[in-house]
Amino acid sequence: MSAATLRRLIVIGLIVLWEILPRAGFIPELFLPSLSSTLAAGWNEAGEYGHALAVTLYEVAISMAFACGGGILLGAIVGSLPRPRILIMPMVSSLYAVPLVILYPVFTVWLGIGSESKIAFASIYGFLPTMLATAAGIQTIDPQLLLAARSMGATLSQRLVRVIIPAAIPTVLSGLRVGGALVIVGVVVSEMLISSAGIGYLISRYRTILDSPHVFAGVLLVLAMAIAFNAAIKWIERKAAIWQTGTRAGQDSAGEVAPTALQPAT
Amino acid sequence: MQPLANITPLKPAGAIEVRNVGQIFKTTTQDVVALEDVSLDVRPGRFVVLVGPSGCGKSTLLMMMAGLRQQTSGTITISGAPIPEPDPNRVGVVFQEASLFPWLTAEENVEFPLALRGVTKSDRRARAQDALKLVGLDGFGKRHPHELSGGMKQRVSIARGLVQDPPVLLMDEPFAALDEQTRMTMGDELLRIWAATGKTVVFVTHSLTEAVYLADEVIVMSPRPGRIVDHLQVPLPRPRTYEMLSGDAFGSLRDRIWRHIRKSA
Repeated sequence: MSAATLRRLIVIGLIVLWEILPRAGFIPELFLPSLSSTLAAGWNEAGEYGHALAVTLYEVAISMAFACGGGILLGAIVGSLPRPRILIMPMVSSLYAVPLVILYPVFTVWLGIGSESKIAFASIYGFLPTMLATAAGIQTIDPQLLLAARSMGATLSQRLVRVIIPAAIPTVLSGLRVGGALVIVGVVVSEMLISSAGIGYLISRYRTILDSPHVFAGVLLVLAMAIAFNAAIKWIERKAAIWQTGTRAGQDSAGEVAPTALQPAT
Repeated sequence: MQPLANITPLKPAGAIEVRNVGQIFKTTTQDVVALEDVSLDVRPGRFVVLVGPSGCGKSTLLMMMAGLRQQTSGTITISGAPIPEPDPNRVGVVFQEASLFPWLTAEENVEFPLALRGVTKSDRRARAQDALKLVGLDGFGKRHPHELSGGMKQRVSIARGLVQDPPVLLMDEPFAALDEQTRMTMGDELLRIWAATGKTVVFVTHSLTEAVYLADEVIVMSPRPGRIVDHLQVPLPRPRTYEMLSGDAFGSLRDRIWRHIRKSA
């Protein structure tokens, strides 16, 4: 049996167990409502969930733009210039180990409990790994490639466009994968903490009234969002990276890097 | 780039002249003399090999001939004109493996120097095809480097170095990363390409056997400071054959080089 078939069987098995175990009474509905009652709960409040999803997706999209755009830009600068690297990298690396979620209450004081505070928090949360990966991607470009380009008479801007950018793409993409996942985490977590809208808010509100089917309906939506994001990144990776050896680091970063591997303490 | 020199060449195309060249690397603690008073002449169409232990400056000298590095003192001219920056119309360079761009196909790699100069797509493709045919890679143009063997990658590198038809080809340990069988085959291939094109070749290697097998002339260098300690003519007839490797003439040339290297190592 191939690994892919086995994986599918495991997923199907889990889904079946999710339906059977609560129904048969092995697990109380409060702990784990059956899949069908979860779906029914979500369906009955489709309007509410739809609105929450729209809010969350909006926050994720804006945060993603800030985190990825800013992360790639600053990572490129830091990766290519030694002086900013010495200055900034130690700070960023230690910041990465700090559970940034402690800053979230401060953001709500500054920006209120609307979307702005979520976007600010999630942007910073996703920005760090994107920036670190981009800086690493540019730093680890094989110097032989740049020397070869120079020997063929490539100017500085030609080297940037034709060598540095394509060579850095695989590492940058793996940074985007981690950064994007963290943006989703950041938005949902901040919605759960202090908020008035979004899926995280719904989950936490239904939890306080012990309505498990509605909690799990929200969890399913977040799960679907993460899976969709992962599929999108995979599609981009297939499009962009036929090669995986443009940088010396690219050889390792290409495969299945678990988004959690680089995840800091929440 | 060198319009004056192109109008009035002082030397025929392909001649290399190195005069009293020195190179000093400045480090924070001390200055390291990488090359000291190196002079040499390479006549057009000759196959010259630079050998010597690590740190003798042979690669540095090659990089200076390519315009990738500037000497601290002395002059270097290629086809009669100095080379203040890389000029692929005058000098093609082939590096150790892995200098192909992994995201480009073989033919796109070969076209790369032409694309930098805005040569049209169809013209580029045609010239890349010719260069790939010359190195025996007809039909492999659409493959990416990771789909090619080590020897084939080096053939693509050679095609890329030759695509602008420069009179001089500089090669920095091009076969060092290949296994021994491939290395022998590639040596014969390189000699075939050299004979077909009549280029001036300067070839850096660690291997004494490779040096004697390929060269018209072998230049032996020694380190600290890097300088030339011997300049041998290789009188073996061409085409070179595998049987020559076990001959007395071959052995005595190799011994002579080895004695220099052992002394300096």
